[in-house]
Amino acid sequence: MSSFVAGWRIQRRVISALMVRELVTRFGRENIGFLWIMAEPLLFAGLVGIVWRIMKGPEEHGVSIVAFIASGYIPLTLFRHAVSRSTRVFSVNGSLLYHRQIKILDFIFVRFIIEVIGAMMAFVFIGSLLYLINEFPVPADIGALIAGWFFYCLFTFSLCLVLAPISELSDVLEKFLPVTLYIMIPFSGTFNMVSWLTPDLQRIMLYSPFVSPMELMRYGIFGDRVQAIWDLSVTVGSSIVLLLIGLVLCRRVRRVLVVE
Amino acid sequence: MIHCHRVTKSYPMGNGRKEVLKGLDLQVLPGEHIGFLGRNGAGKTTLIKLIGGVEMPTSGKIRRGMSVSWPLGFGGGFQGSLTGYDNARFIARIYGHKYGEIRDFVEDFTELGPQLKMPVKTYSSGMRARLGFALSLAIEFDCYLIDEIIMVGDANFHRKCHIELFDKRGDRALIFASHSPELVREFCNRALVLHEGQGTLYSDVNEALEVYSAL
Repeated sequence: MSSFVAGWRIQRRVISALMVRELVTRFGRENIGFLWIMAEPLLFAGLVGIVWRIMKGPEEHGVSIVAFIASGYIPLTLFRHAVSRSTRVFSVNGSLLYHRQIKILDFIFVRFIIEVIGAMMAFVFIGSLLYLINEFPVPADIGALIAGWFFYCLFTFSLCLVLAPISELSDVLEKFLPVTLYIMIPFSGTFNMVSWLTPDLQRIMLYSPFVSPMELMRYGIFGDRVQAIWDLSVTVGSSIVLLLIGLVLCRRVRRVLVVE
Repeated sequence: MIHCHRVTKSYPMGNGRKEVLKGLDLQVLPGEHIGFLGRNGAGKTTLIKLIGGVEMPTSGKIRRGMSVSWPLGFGGGFQGSLTGYDNARFIARIYGHKYGEIRDFVEDFTELGPQLKMPVKTYSSGMRARLGFALSLAIEFDCYLIDEIIMVGDANFHRKCHIELFDKRGDRALIFASHSPELVREFCNRALVLHEGQGTLYSDVNEALEVYSAL
């Protein structure tokens, strides 16, 4: 028990030190510093929302289009950033492996958590901003919103845990990643609700691990003004499988990792 | 005590593998000062990295019964884009030490002054050596792993290392890889000659140096 407590203490120390280090190296201490982490999701969600608002009018299927796009785009940027930042994470952080208390899982976890914090901050910020101009509702079911985020993050992290070690073993992954991230957008639930689709398409969409958490988030925000359909078994099942594969791969890669 | 048992390490090379270490055994007792001798590519740095836990052996086991420093060498251990102070802060955090104490020791030992506010990538290897030594001495380990780096320091640094490592911390173990016979003679009381993936331990440093120079 005491060794568990000691291990937990070291773990917490390492994670917080790595987070500070990552924030300082990425954003520096100039001007707004680490607040930049929410700049990009914010700009994306805001600008894309405005473009859609101009193209399609103020509402679609009974909800504010800006709120709909913003609430979908921020999780999407989280996913895209987390995935692209998890590639090659071991080699770029190689010099940290000189300190034995730092484990390679910490690298993946820290980068992921930073992306999550950035996305959350951006989400709250843009939600409050839009609320002030009556474009964003008070979340109808905050529990559903948080649960949606949780499952979205769970799947994203599980995928990162697999991609990070594979990117060290093969260069091919990095070549295919950008196009894959682009192709997956229609299957991410960012721009539409499942209920807007035909029954055949609905079935297919629910096989995407992103869709159910996204529906849950939408329900959490808009409540009964949207018809949300979710089935979390795909998300949870695929996350567990990916987590297990990821842990095994990380262990393998650590054994053969060449540190400069 | 550090115990290396039948340690092998190989790296991919073309279609095959290059075997750097082939079943090496080694024990390091507390307070022992062991010099690693060997030609370029004999595996000195590799063995130090394995003992430090930076890389994992391909097979075999390494047990560390005492706290072992990170390998102090030309690369690794630092974040080049961060300043000397930031690196000190980071190391203080991960080892659970008070930053204030570490900072005072680093300022005193390195004598780098305002340069500590500059990114470590702008440091010369001598300056890096000073910073690395200062940090690992401030943390306090039972065993220090030193890969060549003492050589790049000036006479003043050399003297400081001697005082800190031998006068103040005479009970600590030391593993020191070097090509310099004078330094090995000065710092070590035993020596391991690495050749063709095998290591031979000599309790007489002069004998080890003779074998090494004949390689």
